Amino acid sequence: MKPFDLRAQKLVICLGPGGVGKTTISAALAVRAAMLGCAVDVMTVDPAPRLLDALGLEQDSSEPVEVFLDGVQRGRRSKTREHARLRALRLDPKRTFDSIIARYALSDAARDTILENRIYRNLSGALAGVGDYMAMEKLLELAANPTTDLIVLDTPPATEALDFLDAPRRLLELLNSRAVTLLGAPAGLFRSQLRMVDIAARAVLAAFDRVTGLHLLSDVQSFVRSFDGMYEGFSVRAARAQDKLRATDTAIVVVTTAESSRIAQAREFIDALEGAGLRVSAMVVNRLMAELPDAAELASARIAPSLKKKLKRNLADYAALKTREEVSLTALRDSLPSGAILMVAHDLGREPRTIADLAEIGRSISAA
Amino acid sequence: MTLPRVLFVTGKGGTGKSTVAAAIALALSRRRPTTLADLDGRLSAAAALGAMPRDSTAVKVSDTLDVIALTARAELEAFIERIVPIRAISRRMLRSRTFGYVTAALPGLEAFLLLERLRIMAGDAALEDRYLVIDAPASGSAVELLSVSSGVKNLAPAGTLNRLADSIDGFLGDATRFGAVITTTPETLAVREALETAATIRERLGIATVAAIMNCVPDLIFDTSELAAMSPLGGHARLAIRRNSAHEQAALAAPRFADAGMMIVNLPMMFTPSIGSAELTKLGRVLDAELLDR
Repeated sequence: MKPFDLRAQKLVICLGPGGVGKTTISAALAVRAAMLGCAVDVMTVDPAPRLLDALGLEQDSSEPVEVFLDGVQRGRRSKTREHARLRALRLDPKRTFDSIIARYALSDAARDTILENRIYRNLSGALAGVGDYMAMEKLLELAANPTTDLIVLDTPPATEALDFLDAPRRLLELLNSRAVTLLGAPAGLFRSQLRMVDIAARAVLAAFDRVTGLHLLSDVQSFVRSFDGMYEGFSVRAARAQDKLRATDTAIVVVTTAESSRIAQAREFIDALEGAGLRVSAMVVNRLMAELPDAAELASARIAPSLKKKLKRNLADYAALKTREEVSLTALRDSLPSGAILMVAHDLGREPRTIADLAEIGRSISAA
Repeated sequence: MTLPRVLFVTGKGGTGKSTVAAAIALALSRRRPTTLADLDGRLSAAAALGAMPRDSTAVKVSDTLDVIALTARAELEAFIERIVPIRAISRRMLRSRTFGYVTAALPGLEAFLLLERLRIMAGDAALEDRYLVIDAPASGSAVELLSVSSGVKNLAPAGTLNRLADSIDGFLGDATRFGAVITTTPETLAVREALETAATIRERLGIATVAAIMNCVPDLIFDTSELAAMSPLGGHARLAIRRNSAHEQAALAAPRFADAGMMIVNLPMMFTPSIGSAELTKLGRVLDAELLDR
C-alpha cells in the first residue's frame, strides 16, 4: 500500500467527530511536512491551551504566526531548511465573516445594516455553522500565497461531515433563495407568485412573530435585501472553494480514535463525504496504544514471584484493551473506501505541549 | 442526598458519557421506574441497553426502564404541525431549505423546544415518581443547549416566548428537578475540561452540578516499592506506571470536584475486549452503591 505522501499535497483537510484529537493531528501533520522541507500553513480551530502554547499562538492570532522549528528539523541540506517553514493561525469565524461583509458590501450603510441585523448576528455565531464557511474563506486567502506548499486545515468539531464542506453552498442558497425574499415582501405584493409552501412558511413565521414579538419577518427581509449585489462576490468564492475541495492535490483526512462508537461516527462521515462525491484520501486512528511488552520477558525476569504475578495480570488487562482496539481497527479496514489508506497515530501518553511532541506524533503517523 | 428528578449526563467526547448514562439509568431502574432520554443523535446509550427507539416513542427495556430518543428536529416538526395543521403543507414546508435556514438563524428555536419537552417530561415523571436520565450531547453542545433559554429571553423581552423561557429557566434552576452529571476520565485534559464545564453550568447557568463520574479508573495493584523493583523491565514497567498514574490522576482530581460541591464516583476500568451487558451491569452496581446510596 502506498504511504500517504504529504509532499504531494497542496491542501490537507482534517475532519472528524469532536474529541478525537483532530487539532493535534492537524498540527502534527503540519510539523511533519515542515520537517520534510515544505512551507506549511496550519489553520486551527479552538485548540487546547497547551497546543496553543506549543504553536506559539496567542488567544486571538487570526493572522499567521511563524512557528520555530528549532530542534526538530533534521534537514542536512541547507536549501531545504531555508525553504521549510511553519506558520500557524487560529480561525476567528466572526471576525472573518465581518471582514468579508466589509469587503463585499456596496456601501458603508449596507455594511452597517448587515452587521447590526439580528439574523446576521445569530447566523455569524455558532448556531448556523457559519464558522465552517469562514474556514473556507480564510483557506482561499491562504491558498493565494504562491510561496506556500501545503495548507493543513483543522475543522470545527462537527456532528456531520458535510456541515463543513457544504457550508458555502448553503450560505449561497440562503442568499439566493426566492422564497426568503418573498417571505419578507409586504403582504399583497407578489401574492400570486407565492407557492403553497411559501405561504405556509410565511404563516408559521407570522404566527411565531405574533406569539413571540420577535419581528422576524422584517429581520429576514432586511437581511436578504442588504445582501443585494453581494451575491456575485460570494458565489465566485464559493465555487472556488468547491473546486479546491475536489482538486487532485487536496487530501481529505478523517480522524477518529479506536473506540467503537467513534469509528461508527467516522464511518458515517465517510459515507456522507462519498455521497457528496468527495474522495477520502486517508483515515487516521489517533491515540492508538503502543505495542505491548513481551510476555516471555516476564518469565525469565528475576523478580519476586508475587510481583511477577501482578505484572502478568497487568499485561493481560492491557492486552484485553489492545484486543478491543484491534477488533475496531479490523472492522474499519474492511469498510475503508477504495483508494483511502488507513493510518494510525500512537498515544503519546501525555498531552502534547511542545513542537517536539507534535513532531513525535507526526513521525508516528504511519500506514496500518 | 436525594437526586433530582432529571439527571442530565454530559462530558467531553471519549469519556464514556453514553455508557455512563446507560449505567445510571440501569442502576436507578432497580429502585424506581426510570426513563432514559437519548438526546445524542447516535443513540449509543439506547443501544447499550439493547433498545432501538424511534419517532419519539418510548421503548420498554424492562418493567421499570424505558428508552426514548428525542431530537430537536422532531420537536420543531411537532411545533410546526401544531401551527400548520394541514399535514401535506407542514411536511413540504419542513423539507424546504429556506425554512431550514430561517430556523437555523433563529436563536436556537429547535433547542428551545427540546428543553420545553424535557420540562414537560419532568412534570409527568414527578407525577409517576419516575426518574429521567438524559444522555445529553457532548459538553460544548450541552452548554449551548442549556443556555438557549436565557438567549431567548434576551431576544424576546416580553410575550409568550419570554414566559416559556422563564418556566424553562425555573425548571433548570430547581435543584430538586434538574441536575447535571459530568463524565470524565483520569487524564489531565479531561479533568480540566470537566471542571470547566461544571463551573460554567453551575455559575453561569445557575444549574446544579450533582456529580462527577470518573470513568475508566484502573484498580491499584502495584505499590511504590514494587514500581522501583521492576525498573529494569522496560515495557512492563511502563505499563505498570501507566496503570498507577491513571489511578493517581483519579485520586488527585477527586478533591477538586468535591471542592466544587460535587459527589465523585470512580468507575472501574473494564479490562475486557468489549463493553457488553455484563460490563454495564457491573458499572450499574458501582453507581448503585456509590451514587444512589449516598
